[in-house]
Amino acid sequence: MLYAKNRKLIATAQAVVNYKDKKAEKVITMRKTFVSMIAAAALSAGAVMPAFGTEVTLGRFFGSCQDAGTDVSAAVGEACIIQSIINAFDAENDDFDVTTLPTDWGNYYDQIIASYASGNPPDVHVMHRHRIPEYGQIGALADLTDDLMAHGIDPDDWTESAREAVTWNDRILGVPMDLHANLWHVNMDLMEAAGLVEDGRPILPSSPEEMMEHAEMVREATGQYYLAADFSEFEIGVRMVLAFLWQQDSNIFANGTATINTPEARNALELITGLFDGDYANSRTNYADSQQSFLNGEAAVLVNGTWVVDFYAEQAADEDVELTNYYVADFPTLYDEPATWADSHLWAIPASVQRDDPEVYEGALKLLAFINDHNIDWARTGHAAVRESVLNSDEYAELPHRSEYDNTVNIARDTPASARYGAIQDILNREFQAIWLTGKSIDAALSDAEEDVQSQLDR
Amino acid sequence: MKTMENRRLALLYTMLALPAFIWLVPTLWMVSLSLQPNALLARTTSNTFWGLIPYPLTLDNYLNLLAHGQVHVWFFNSLVVALGMTIGVLVLSTTAGYAFARLNFVGKKTLLVLVLLGLMIPEQAVFIPLYTLFSELGWHNSHHGLIIPRLAVPIGVFIMIQFFRGVTRDVEEAARIDGANTFQIFWHVMLPLARPAMMTVAILTFLYAWNDYLWPLVSAQRTEHFTITLGLASLQSNFAQSEGLGSVMASGVIASLPVVALFLIFQRYVVRAVAVGGSKG
Repeated sequence: MLYAKNRKLIATAQAVVNYKDKKAEKVITMRKTFVSMIAAAALSAGAVMPAFGTEVTLGRFFGSCQDAGTDVSAAVGEACIIQSIINAFDAENDDFDVTTLPTDWGNYYDQIIASYASGNPPDVHVMHRHRIPEYGQIGALADLTDDLMAHGIDPDDWTESAREAVTWNDRILGVPMDLHANLWHVNMDLMEAAGLVEDGRPILPSSPEEMMEHAEMVREATGQYYLAADFSEFEIGVRMVLAFLWQQDSNIFANGTATINTPEARNALELITGLFDGDYANSRTNYADSQQSFLNGEAAVLVNGTWVVDFYAEQAADEDVELTNYYVADFPTLYDEPATWADSHLWAIPASVQRDDPEVYEGALKLLAFINDHNIDWARTGHAAVRESVLNSDEYAELPHRSEYDNTVNIARDTPASARYGAIQDILNREFQAIWLTGKSIDAALSDAEEDVQSQLDR
Repeated sequence: MKTMENRRLALLYTMLALPAFIWLVPTLWMVSLSLQPNALLARTTSNTFWGLIPYPLTLDNYLNLLAHGQVHVWFFNSLVVALGMTIGVLVLSTTAGYAFARLNFVGKKTLLVLVLLGLMIPEQAVFIPLYTLFSELGWHNSHHGLIIPRLAVPIGVFIMIQFFRGVTRDVEEAARIDGANTFQIFWHVMLPLARPAMMTVAILTFLYAWNDYLWPLVSAQRTEHFTITLGLASLQSNFAQSEGLGSVMASGVIASLPVVALFLIFQRYVVRAVAVGGSKG
């Protein structure tokens, strides 16, 4: 179809050239050159889109990987692993032709929301757990509950948190792919110098007071920061505060009422500002700065997600990198209950596809089953697997550093489900950053945050 | 006396060169970072002379981008969209500008107010209706789907109105005495006079079209219909800013090259265009 259109375009352009002034040879030569350029580019455009089988469009972020191929086991990194899985499905299924629609991460949801609004969403797309309420409450996603087993996807094999991630009003609206959580990335050389290593493992703090002691020990022994994290850009600082709240059996809201201005939140924030006040951490580092600081051996601990485990392991093996002895641990428990922030990547199918196009729906479900079967391959990115059978396998245990944070799947938490999740996170990020970046008092920030979050919950 | 003058000039140039250099630093930094390995940039962005000197030097970031099979398609799409939009805006702005400036017709003032109101309505406000309309027409993932929504450019009409109002009526009257009708006056007399203003509108439009991101982001979802800005962004991994900074910067350099070339060729007009219209399309 596209090829035919391109041919028509070329023919029209050539006709225009031929019809015009035949005497002006120089002009014609220029025009022919232009037509040739059109032809080359148009044919190239056609060449990248052969049409076989029923087309299934797939929306995703993670970046592009042009040479992903179909050998899933050889792929490295998020973009190439997921694209190789998609390519392998495409190669094995002549009935379906998957067209990937990649978008950069920062603008992904704008594009997806716009496509839903126009009634033209991708046939299957990736999304985060925290977005499920937003889409679920308007009935935008297909209810997969009754179709999963028939396609070889066993929801009972998913971990409890993974099942929760894709469930809305007791119905399953997606297929989970991973659990990604905040971890304690550790520079063992700095910890060793501070006397904070025992039996080859870092000694993690078990109380706020102990964390400050450890911070002082690292500062004394090495002169470096105890902890680095992105405190000035993304929500990693917020996620730390949330983890400390959950560890005190508190939360930011419950049953539609904001509960942010609490002693537990004050404890969590005072703990973090204490790190800044003692010069054990730098409040002004963003995501890239904090990572540089860790890789350059300027911080003993970096709070970041599962998605960087493989990257840091690779960096630690590079002789040019200061970080040489890398360990990654579960987020420590400083209060009563273990907890760390976590989210999930999952795959969903629009309700319109399930309703209007059974053939495409069938292809999309088969693709999701294929992705579900390759959960171990996706786990190579550093993310935690969501299938019990994978989590308990030797293959999973043998992945680099995986045994060091295997309890994370059990302590993973997130805020209560809300269609206003994004707006609430923005409010918390704004107010918490105001505390450590602009000197706003903790009381004022908590009060303002509670008021604004409540207004979001009331909408 | 001459020595004094030379000194004064030297001082003036120094005073102008310093802020110019400071203004250029981000651009130099972008080019320099684009020539450094991503692995190094993950650790430091100020390796040699605050990162301004690309050492160690690599062309990998550019080669990896250019090796992507669809980059030339994205360039072609950007060119078609930017040129199509520029031509379309010129046609609409000059005809509308002439009509508003020189012709009398019923409802002229009301219509002019409506056109200029477009300057005050943010594009985001009409985004979803526009998207839905184009979806119903089946115009997404096409060149015209990227061009048509951007053809109504009130600032272009405004610039042309201002220009045509400034042309003395004697010119028109002379042409009319010679037997020219309204269209002939517009085509043979006014348009040639309006070249500088048209150039201003054209450059503003081309720059806006080339750098446009939001509309192509939602309208062009298939990779073969991406513009260059959209395509290069789609290649970035989720944490490109920390793990693929060199590639991000190389994308920036590649995407801005045609705009830089345009600036160098039409520098005089660009300065005037920016002075007249700012960056609002």
